Amino acid sequence: MAEISVKNLHKEFGVGEDRVVALENVNMHLEGHVFVSVVGPSGCGKSTLLNILSGIETPSSGQVSITQDARDANPGYVFQAARLLPWRSVIDNLMFVQKERDDEARARCQRYLDMVQLGDKADKYPGELSGGMQQRVGIARAFSIEPDVLFMDEPFSHLDAITARSLRRELHDMWIETRKTVLFVTHDVGEAVELSNRILVFAKGGKLKDDINIDLPFPRDGADEAVALAKAHVLKKFEDLDLVAT
Amino acid sequence: MASVSSPVRTQSGFLKLVKSPLTARILFPVMVLAVWYLIYYTIDSRIFPTPQKVVQFMWEEITLTSGVTYGSIKTNLYGQFAISLGRLAIGFAISVALGTVIGLAMGLSKSVDAFFHDWVMAILAMPALVWALFLGLVFGFGSLGPILTVILAGIPFVIVNVREGVRNTPKELFDMARSFSVPQQRITRQVLLPSLMPFFFAAMRYAFSIGWKGLVIAEVFASDRGAGWTIKFWYDAHRAHGVIGFALFFVFFALVLEKLVFERLSKKAFKWRPQVGGVEMVEESFLIDQTIGGAGENPVTIEGGIRG
Repeated sequence: MAEISVKNLHKEFGVGEDRVVALENVNMHLEGHVFVSVVGPSGCGKSTLLNILSGIETPSSGQVSITQDARDANPGYVFQAARLLPWRSVIDNLMFVQKERDDEARARCQRYLDMVQLGDKADKYPGELSGGMQQRVGIARAFSIEPDVLFMDEPFSHLDAITARSLRRELHDMWIETRKTVLFVTHDVGEAVELSNRILVFAKGGKLKDDINIDLPFPRDGADEAVALAKAHVLKKFEDLDLVAT
Repeated sequence: MASVSSPVRTQSGFLKLVKSPLTARILFPVMVLAVWYLIYYTIDSRIFPTPQKVVQFMWEEITLTSGVTYGSIKTNLYGQFAISLGRLAIGFAISVALGTVIGLAMGLSKSVDAFFHDWVMAILAMPALVWALFLGLVFGFGSLGPILTVILAGIPFVIVNVREGVRNTPKELFDMARSFSVPQQRITRQVLLPSLMPFFFAAMRYAFSIGWKGLVIAEVFASDRGAGWTIKFWYDAHRAHGVIGFALFFVFFALVLEKLVFERLSKKAFKWRPQVGGVEMVEESFLIDQTIGGAGENPVTIEGGIRG
């Protein structure tokens, strides 16, 4: 079972007058088959947190640790933009991140492409696909290394509402099926409530302000009364914490 | 409420024909020919040739029916172009190889950039004619002068383009690769090198088209053989049809090489980019004159779709 733990995490950029605190004394712990959303306004350090956890950036102080079943396994990462290599075919984009690039890996990549309904687009170049399809490839890429932990940084924010909605459903099904630990960054409270067991609320200056459990059955429909109530509840917390931009 | 409607115009077949791009394309050479004949009949010159005279000259050169051989080495059109192409090939290879190394170093290191920067700009601003004259004086009428001219004319464009390529490497793709712990060697081969390709291609096209133009000048002033020299031969002989004919051969060779070599290579290298249109790029790369490119800092990269 995967486990993510963050202790006294602090991160700042720049020096002197340009100094910006991105994360301040963040502590959190999550484990097992959970879907945890990180919400907050722009510039609250949400993406920085993911970048530190995935090793793109290093913390200024504090500790992060990720324990997984598979030793030295790598977490999967889905970015805001798909970040595909435009000069490689879809299947080769998945193969690019595989540890061993053998027939077994290829079959696995094809299986995850099938799962995001792009099995027949394996030999296309990313430029030949729509934005939603490209993001699907990005999701398949993250799943294809079969990580225990998945990081997602506002993966649907660039997409139109209908595409985002169908991708959310797909993602939810994949999460149920593969039983991953997911840390999902978003600024969309509705999205967070529909997908997550737990919501971490960040404020400007990188402070973790609240930790909310959402105990509602899946699948959740945004129009459902309980879901709408939960959404209102989280938004109310936002207001109480004075996070809403005025 | 008043509604405004514009009358529906139906174009007649004649109007359509007049406005079609094909007509415009054909119209241009027709007009050139008309002006040519107009000049021919208005100025009183025994040297100014008719178009048919130029065509006839070129045909005789191609079919070798004129029997004219040129210069001390006594060779024909093909021999002269073989000499020029050999010089171009050597100069081009050196300017691309050396320029790539310097450009990579400048892109990666600030101190290397500071070391070369001003001198690259100075070489960029120097007209090929000055190199040709100077190198002719220093090295005499051998192959060294023309080859060095090709190198010096082309190398700043290679350096500047490759440097820009290194500076514009896609950071977000490197971050992606790092977050998936992709091995460095695979990152170099599959992210770094492909991202440099458009800039490298632009560099090669500049080195080729500007080197080719520099070569003519160098052969006119600093050589006793080669296609450029042959243009001067006809100039000295006061035969304008020879000058025009050989100039056209030069242009023709450049366009054919561009089509056969660069366009094919580029199609192969950029097949992932669905919208690449070959023809326009051929025209574009020959539109860029040294003086325009000489502004230096910000060269137009022909293939540079990656630059934001």
